[in-house]
Amino acid sequence: MHFREATCHQTAMGTILRVSAWIASFASAFAATGALAHSEQGVAIDFWGGFTHPIFGLDHVIAMVAVGLWGAFLGPPAIWLLPVVFPLVMAVAGAYGVLGLPLHGVETGIALSAIMLGAMVAGAAKPPLWVAALLVGAFAIFHGYAHGVELPVGADAIAFSMGFVIATGMLHLSGIAFGGLSHWPAGRIAVRAAGVVIAVIGLGYLTGVV
Amino acid sequence: MSRRFGAALVLALLLSATPALAHSPIMGIGGVVGGVLHALLIPEHGLSLLALGLALGQWEQSARRAGIMIFAVALACGLIAAAFALAEALAADVLLAATGILGLLVVTMWTPTYLVWPLAAIAGLTIGLDSRPEVASNEEAIRMLLGSGLGAAVSLTIVAEVSFLLRSNAQRIVARVMGSWITAIAILVLSLRIVTQMTVG
Repeated sequence: MHFREATCHQTAMGTILRVSAWIASFASAFAATGALAHSEQGVAIDFWGGFTHPIFGLDHVIAMVAVGLWGAFLGPPAIWLLPVVFPLVMAVAGAYGVLGLPLHGVETGIALSAIMLGAMVAGAAKPPLWVAALLVGAFAIFHGYAHGVELPVGADAIAFSMGFVIATGMLHLSGIAFGGLSHWPAGRIAVRAAGVVIAVIGLGYLTGVV
Repeated sequence: MSRRFGAALVLALLLSATPALAHSPIMGIGGVVGGVLHALLIPEHGLSLLALGLALGQWEQSARRAGIMIFAVALACGLIAAAFALAEALAADVLLAATGILGLLVVTMWTPTYLVWPLAAIAGLTIGLDSRPEVASNEEAIRMLLGSGLGAAVSLTIVAEVSFLLRSNAQRIVARVMGSWITAIAILVLSLRIVTQMTVG
């Protein structure tokens, strides 16, 4: 049996923010255990290593925040659909990268993702939901693959993966939280300005300036 | 129990947790209590119980409780097999695959009984098989297995019942997001394990 679909944006935002606070506590609890193991490359392969992995790359961070911003801008059901599509596709592409299979134009794809997603937010673009999901899913391939090839082969794969996915989700949630400002006229300008900044940084990555 | 007290209890449990050491007894805690903690602190088990509970929480009472019963019976079979040292090396990987599928079902909110019940049986069996603690004494192992079974069954029941109660639109969105994260984690872990096995041999 299925229950009614999401319609209440405000309630969803509130719940998502409460959940994000809980997840932050959860992450802190895991992080408190400290780094116990490292891969041969010196990358921590515990929860904390996974949690910090997506956060250290600005190109990844801005694209993931942009997904949340755009989702908040589009409203339900995009507000949850886009952050659901991204980790699923990212994980599949990540597995592809972990297995060492080739994919060309990854860095270009990541830079383009920031440009495109930033431009969508800046332009307050509202395409059909399936177009938005397709776009986000397509860009998630590049991000997932890039992370996948860098993932350390180690013993505590589950803790690392949990940290990695939760950090990605937290970046989406931070985008959604900031995107919630778009309910007010001044906030809408701030969110669109953030889209411009993301697109400009993406352009910087594409041209090699950043 | 108030929500705040329950939340504080969960957080205290998490903060007091030592790093998850799969199949090792919790340092200094043995017996049934050690088994319960063992069931709760193994990430693979916790993840699968969460996914299964979220899936079962989409059903009305009779179907939900039938799912829990199927899990409990399969879990008992797995624990008995583990008690006889029949632990299966692939159990953790099969459990992760089932968890990934369950997460996907939660994302889509499409949870037909003909899919979730077999997955509940697989999860129960593999959690049982994967629960044998690394202790020298058989008696201690059996006590811990009893605790593991109790912990897993009670945890699943709590997650399923809470998931059933939290069914507003916003809460269902949270469940979908959690389902996507669970599936993503399962995919990444399985791929990492495959590569590790290929590398190490």
